[in-house]
Amino acid sequence: MNRNRLSLLAAAVGVAAIVAVVLIALGSGSGSTSTDTTTTTAASAPQDTVPLATTDIFTGIPQHGDTLGRPAAPATITIYEDPQCPFCREWMLQTFPAVVTDYVRTGKVKLVYRGIEIIGPNSEPGLRAIYAAGKQNKLWNMTDGLYRLQGAENSGWITEATVRTAAHSAGANADAILGAMNANSVTAKLNEAARQSQADKVHGTPAFVVQRPPAQAQMLNLAALDAATFESALDAALQ
Amino acid sequence: MRVRAAIAALALAGIAVAGYLTAVHYAHTSPICTTGGCEKVQHSSFAELAGVPVALLGLLAYIAILATAAVRGVGASLAGAVLGLSGAAFSGYLLWAQFARIHVICQWCVGNDAIIAAVAGLCVVRLLREPPPA
Repeated sequence: MNRNRLSLLAAAVGVAAIVAVVLIALGSGSGSTSTDTTTTTAASAPQDTVPLATTDIFTGIPQHGDTLGRPAAPATITIYEDPQCPFCREWMLQTFPAVVTDYVRTGKVKLVYRGIEIIGPNSEPGLRAIYAAGKQNKLWNMTDGLYRLQGAENSGWITEATVRTAAHSAGANADAILGAMNANSVTAKLNEAARQSQADKVHGTPAFVVQRPPAQAQMLNLAALDAATFESALDAALQ
Repeated sequence: MRVRAAIAALALAGIAVAGYLTAVHYAHTSPICTTGGCEKVQHSSFAELAGVPVALLGLLAYIAILATAAVRGVGASLAGAVLGLSGAAFSGYLLWAQFARIHVICQWCVGNDAIIAAVAGLCVVRLLREPPPA
């Protein structure tokens, strides 16, 4: 091993160190979304200017607790979501309306909500607010309302004020939601959703489990979350 | 020759992992995950660098390393070593982030860390052993 090669190696190490430092500095400056921060004072603004209020989507569709759609619908989609999950938000705001129009409103399918904490601790108050809204049969409206206010993950954006605003857009009683968030029945719903997510082997959100008895329940494998891809996969699962 | 072949094989493995994670990122879906933390890592601020997915940067780096493995000469050895060592250092930072900041482990990231560490080691060996130009 000659000295020339060792010099080259030293140069390579030096350049690599500089590159790595630059990359780390760029990463540090690209955002402060550390997932272990739970401050409630740094609630961030919504990610964009999606308008509030979407009650039109749900008008005329039976909603009871965590279920949206005709109770006797031949098929059920269990949807696992986290209110902090950006992909869940994307699905809810872009694809969900089409699914409701094409499958739920027509009575082909009913949707069952299963809220699970995937992103971090700030998801829990959101989930509690959503399940508390279920007592007013406004769970799905509340879910939609919170997604429209979604901020950066674990930035502490789910506050009492956020819950009040989402409840307002959902057409629900905000005081009743806030009062029920820590109820045992809400905690039981959270625990049930967590247990079922393990049984269904859910490792991420959103996740969709389709069941059309007597066929076995099956997880939808989606290449993308747009309406066309989702409905194509759903049609295959329902056959 | 065997060292270059080993680097190329590992680079292909890295391309497979990084390519999968890049595809998952742009498809807005969740990676297959047995450790339970992949989605959380993928959604964290550490998953992007100035708006560019880290998985895509990794994919490009592995392609570049594969290219250096295909070429003889000290220049290619040096370029491979710089890429490998840079990648290993940055992967080490991301591994720290998983443990210390995100508090979950993503199997794909750990797999990538192992690959890039091996690539970096082999690239150093290659740089020290590459025959001088005739």
